[in-house]
Amino acid sequence: MRSLLFVLLCLGVATPQAESMPYREYDALEEYAPSVRGDMWLSGTYRLWADPGRLDWRMAGNPEDNWKLNWKFMDPPFNQTVHGGHFALDRGEELFRALNAKGRFAACLGARQGRLKGLRTGYPRYHAQLRRIVGLEEAIELCAARQGRELQNGSYDNSAVSLFLASKSQGMPIRIQVDKGPMQQAYARGRKLFHMRTGRSNMACSSCHTHRIGLKLRNVAVTTPYGDVAHFPVYRTRFQLQSLQLRFVECNLDSGTQPLRPGSSAYTDLEVFLTALSNGYPVSVPSERH
Amino acid sequence: MHQRGKEPRPTGFLTAPGMTGLVFPRLFRTKPGAWLVSLLLLPGVWAAELPPDAAVDRGVPTMTLTPQVVVHSGRLEWEPFSRDLSAWPTLSHADRRSTEKPRRVSLTGPLEGDATRGRELAMRRDKGFCMLCHQLPGEQWSGNFGISLLGYRLNHHADADLYQQVFDPRVNNPHTAMPPYGTNRILSDQEIRDIVAYLQSLE
Ligand code: HEC
Ligand code: HEC
Repeated sequence: MRSLLFVLLCLGVATPQAESMPYREYDALEEYAPSVRGDMWLSGTYRLWADPGRLDWRMAGNPEDNWKLNWKFMDPPFNQTVHGGHFALDRGEELFRALNAKGRFAACLGARQGRLKGLRTGYPRYHAQLRRIVGLEEAIELCAARQGRELQNGSYDNSAVSLFLASKSQGMPIRIQVDKGPMQQAYARGRKLFHMRTGRSNMACSSCHTHRIGLKLRNVAVTTPYGDVAHFPVYRTRFQLQSLQLRFVECNLDSGTQPLRPGSSAYTDLEVFLTALSNGYPVSVPSERH
Repeated sequence: MHQRGKEPRPTGFLTAPGMTGLVFPRLFRTKPGAWLVSLLLLPGVWAAELPPDAAVDRGVPTMTLTPQVVVHSGRLEWEPFSRDLSAWPTLSHADRRSTEKPRRVSLTGPLEGDATRGRELAMRRDKGFCMLCHQLPGEQWSGNFGISLLGYRLNHHADADLYQQVFDPRVNNPHTAMPPYGTNRILSDQEIRDIVAYLQSLE
């Protein structure tokens, strides 16, 4: 089924709300498809990056054009050199082997018969034991704790394990289902949060990432929200290793909103929404971002 | 300072995740007897609370924390952020605080702004930081979310209109990306006057 989901988000004023609801503003009407193809009409750049084999390398070399590729420039195949992400990957493998000595860690994460292939492509997901939706990093924290090891969501070691698991799905498309049950509700909440203005500057994620794609903040062009999740966690010199939810923290701080702790329900809803926007896009790690 | 980097898991029904419930006022957590009072004061009281999943430390002057990823560590460290962002609504489901509504203002009296001070304020990261979005003279890394402000004086805008634009641009365009500097108390009345004087000096 190819359902286009419509969000009717008018400025908060127009929505009849219960007396006790706080006043909030939302960005303008937007449509989304829970698949990377939805970018065909949002930024129009999808045709330029849908097929990694046919990327126009000249655009990558041009600062005005490289955002249009959405291959995020530094990611493979543009950056073939060894970078910090490769070291993190090794670290993640080591940690994983230690944690999974008895096979319980992988089982807790939801691997069938210990098979790690494809595991990454199904997160975030509803975790039956925890009875809530968790992102991969949150699951890693909780499952590591059961093995007696502290791997806080967002920490280097947690993201390293996440990166190792992602590498086992290298090239496989992200594939989460948001058409029913709790995942559908999380997707809808995440979509709403993506448009909700917050903070000192009163900006929403969409203020930058859907309404002003390609425009610049100082010298950085904002890119489309489609396809991002497939290359997280990323290596960055400033963060060493940045999980998706730490990117939310950074964007929040940059746009004047008090950030939340990784693993908070709001961030997880946002993660579900953004991951659905990467459905169909191949996992590509380890990546490097400026 | 480097607090355990985790939101307290919501336990009571009042703070169940995703629920449109309320944040139980910290004030009353310690005194069960205050329940009665809280019932009387409810609407006013719950509106002001910072949600429990916000990355803050009440022990540091600026409250807001920024994460530090430490290589080969299973702990996420947090450090004080340079600005306090805790006073405005967050993305948390438990945040019941309202966004400030758009405010129409009128400039009273003569402008009496100082363009030199205005320029400084426009450049400061914790104040205007206008070049994030606008081209300004002497700034090579300007953004282009908004129009170039080079030679802006030549547009001959009235002081009052520019004052409104900086104070709260939502009045002119509800979908704007520009922050409401006055309404959200980022810039004071005098600071906005200084910035308007600066804009009016741009040749
Ligand atoms: C003030 C503008 C602004 C706001 C508001 C904003 N971002 Fe960003 N965001 C950026 C910029 C600039 C970048 C870096 C360039 C890029 O990759 O788009 C970025 C990057 C990202 C990335 C990483 C892209 C990649 O593949 O490396 C993600 C994911 C992201 N933002 C999500 C969000 C979310 C979710 C929100 C809301 C909580 C948000 N952003 C709010 C400006 C913003
Ligand atoms: C996050 C982005 C952003 C920041 C920061 C910002 N602006 Fe703007 N500004 C805009 C945008 C976008 C517009 C275009 C009109 C609109 O959308 O409201 C604009 C419009 C304006 C205008 C009206 C331009 C016209 O059409 O004549 C003025 C004047 C202005 N800004 C001044 C400032 C000053 C002064 C500051 C700093 C104190 C500032 N802006 C900070 C985004 C920003």
